[in-house]
Amino acid sequence: MIGNNGYSNSNNPNNPNNPSEATGQFSHKEPVITLRDLRMRFGERYVLNGIDLDVFPGQIIGYIGPNGAGKSTTVKIMLGLVERYTGEVRVFGASPSDGGVDYKKRIGYVPEVAEMYDTLTAREYLTFIGELYGLAAEDAESKARRLMEMFGLRDVINVRIATFSKGMKQKVLIISSLLHNPDILFLDEPLSGLDANSVMVVKEILALLAAQGKTIFYSSHIMDVVEKISDRIILLDGGRIVADGSFEQLQGQSQEGSLEQIFNQLTGFNEHREIAEQFVSIVQEV
Amino acid sequence: MNEMRSLRVLDRFRKLFDKLGVNYPVMRRILQVKLTMDGRRVPTIIGKSRKKDQQDGGTEKNQFFGSLWLYLIFGAFSSMFVALGDNFIFQMSLVFGIFMFMIMTSLISDFSSVLLDIRDRNILSTKPINRRTIAMAKMLHICFYMFFLTGAIAVVPLVVGLIRHGVGFFLLFLAELIVMDLLIVVFTALIYLGVLKLFDGEKLKDFINYVQIGLTIGIALGYQLLVRLFDFVDLQVMFHPKWWQFVIVPIWFGAPYEVLLHGDFHPLYLLFSLLAVCVPILAFMLYLKLMPSLEKNLQKLADPGSRKKEGTGKWLRTISGLLGSSPQERVFFRFAWTMMGNEREFKLKVYPSLGFSLIFPFIFLLTSGMEHGLSGLPGTKLYLFIYFCAMLVPNVILMLKYSGSYKAAWIYRVLPIGDFTPVYRGTLIAAVVRLILPLYAVIGTVFAILFGANIIPDLIVAGLAILAYTVLSFAYLSKALPFSERFETAQQSDGLRMIPLMLLLLGFGMVHFAATLVSFGVYVYAAVLLAANWVLWQKAFSGKS
Repeated sequence: MIGNNGYSNSNNPNNPNNPSEATGQFSHKEPVITLRDLRMRFGERYVLNGIDLDVFPGQIIGYIGPNGAGKSTTVKIMLGLVERYTGEVRVFGASPSDGGVDYKKRIGYVPEVAEMYDTLTAREYLTFIGELYGLAAEDAESKARRLMEMFGLRDVINVRIATFSKGMKQKVLIISSLLHNPDILFLDEPLSGLDANSVMVVKEILALLAAQGKTIFYSSHIMDVVEKISDRIILLDGGRIVADGSFEQLQGQSQEGSLEQIFNQLTGFNEHREIAEQFVSIVQEV
Repeated sequence: MNEMRSLRVLDRFRKLFDKLGVNYPVMRRILQVKLTMDGRRVPTIIGKSRKKDQQDGGTEKNQFFGSLWLYLIFGAFSSMFVALGDNFIFQMSLVFGIFMFMIMTSLISDFSSVLLDIRDRNILSTKPINRRTIAMAKMLHICFYMFFLTGAIAVVPLVVGLIRHGVGFFLLFLAELIVMDLLIVVFTALIYLGVLKLFDGEKLKDFINYVQIGLTIGIALGYQLLVRLFDFVDLQVMFHPKWWQFVIVPIWFGAPYEVLLHGDFHPLYLLFSLLAVCVPILAFMLYLKLMPSLEKNLQKLADPGSRKKEGTGKWLRTISGLLGSSPQERVFFRFAWTMMGNEREFKLKVYPSLGFSLIFPFIFLLTSGMEHGLSGLPGTKLYLFIYFCAMLVPNVILMLKYSGSYKAAWIYRVLPIGDFTPVYRGTLIAAVVRLILPLYAVIGTVFAILFGANIIPDLIVAGLAILAYTVLSFAYLSKALPFSERFETAQQSDGLRMIPLMLLLLGFGMVHFAATLVSFGVYVYAAVLLAANWVLWQKAFSGKS
């Protein structure tokens, strides 16, 4: 484990916290998420192997790790989708296993797979989701309509989602996670399928939301993006946290230039060249 | 999105739901969305999407209602029993037996997937909704269809009852129908709940399907047992109440008529009447208590399985090598084989009919040929009842075009497949080998033991006939690529189109019977069937898609 649970956010000018107080700045703030010795087992296989984590308001956390490292499982546990874990989980002080659901009102979620009721139109779907979060139907609909317009989807608001392109679906998902103005956002590859312009818009949205004290839990495999937008990076490997700190801290401790290289180094991966060569030679066999 | 009338009816019971800890507005909204979605056809990946009804407000027609007329006819037939006379315990037990049989069968095969739905966990369970609300929405979603199903089957008998036996009869009938539906839905849910609680992982996923088979067999047997309770003596039906009859649920519903309308206070009638009222209510209360835990345990179905050891797939490759005539056909044989084994919803919808096909040949044996016991069977032609095991063929073929991952069907268009014949043929062969053949082998073996080895030529002929029947059913039914369409919630096996197929099966059996009357007829018939199969398996697949 390198780094520490405090962070410095020198690359995020919008953050109201003073970077110079990096180490002690959260002593007066309650963490919004607390994980203690979180373990999860599917069959014989441990997906999570003792995760300890405190997340504070206003942080954009880049939650990264190789495929199968347990990123999605962590998020699903916090959302109450996966149970029978061991250890302690607190989100806004509530534990998902208690059965209480009110804490979910303050959470927005963009899942990795664009799973939606796609026989509904975008307007119907978004209004429905807004209402599930406790908004009045009219408010949800008007908000959804305006947000759709912002994303350039005004003309398709009454079209069934099934006919949408991947990027359009992703925009609907992002809107559906924000309708109720949540305090924590769990985003799993939120930029997937978006065009370059939309990516810029969404990144800016995230920075602004964090500046208002929202917490963003951002899982992605695109290291460049994580490097740029996160002010705290958590690297998961084999169900354990192997690095936790700001990009600069990680850089300083692993002597590598980019997050991609740090990722490779910490997950013990340095044979991409050999694998690629073998792969291509297998492809050419036919 | 339509504001449905059924939801407005539900609003009257709002206080009740509030009391049960259900968030009523949210539940109502979920129901509304679910019902709206049921009414919309999903555009398939392959094939033309109808642009017109893509827009909101386009024609929304729930396919379910088109299939109700079949139940209406069944109901009309069973109203005969209502009109028959005033031997209520016999008539009404039988009527309720028929109703329970029809409704429970439909529930298990068509609505198990709603009850065990895990697809929308990511959408619903991440929102601030308690489990009780989600579970209640699911329950009412099913009840919505049960209501119309029961309505269709019961409307004629109800009217007949009103005219023939008066208002008291009518009201009792109506009240019992409601309790019966409640019992059926809750009972099924509780069984699934038990399975979900007790089992884990892969074992659970298999066991759910065995439970379905078990349930259908149980229903079919229970119904037979019911009919057997009554002694037909000189056209008079005699019924002697016995304590053990309480296991036969329809009797419960027959008893109150005797008590209330005939004033017969036989203690067993009183007990049965009490059971008819109390068991559904107690079961419902138990269900309400356990409901959240059903939702919680459903997650087990979504858990990633423990990594299975990779089989070599050698024997599967051997079979496909033997049966497939081209490399592509072998590929699709193996593909369909694996899909049928892994597709949860396919199994949920097909396995109940597997149960029926397994039990029906024996039920017919029991009902029409057992005067002399088992030893009286050899020498008779009752082994022809084996044709009943082909009843699942149309259902299997109908279901082959659906998949939970129907969106993956784009591969058909991307792959360099010029002719889809191998796709269809490989898939159909896989269905025959994986589902129909084992079933036939089991029943055939038991029949050979019961009837003696000399029926083996007949069994082979019946097997060939069923093989030909399978291709013909396919040619008649399937017009879509395998695994390329979405399962729909209220999917009913298409009653109207099934009738010709049932007649065709009957025809095969009759020809077989005729062949047994002529010397060497069976062998000639076998030769004809061999030739027919050879031609059919060549020709039936071209010109599709």
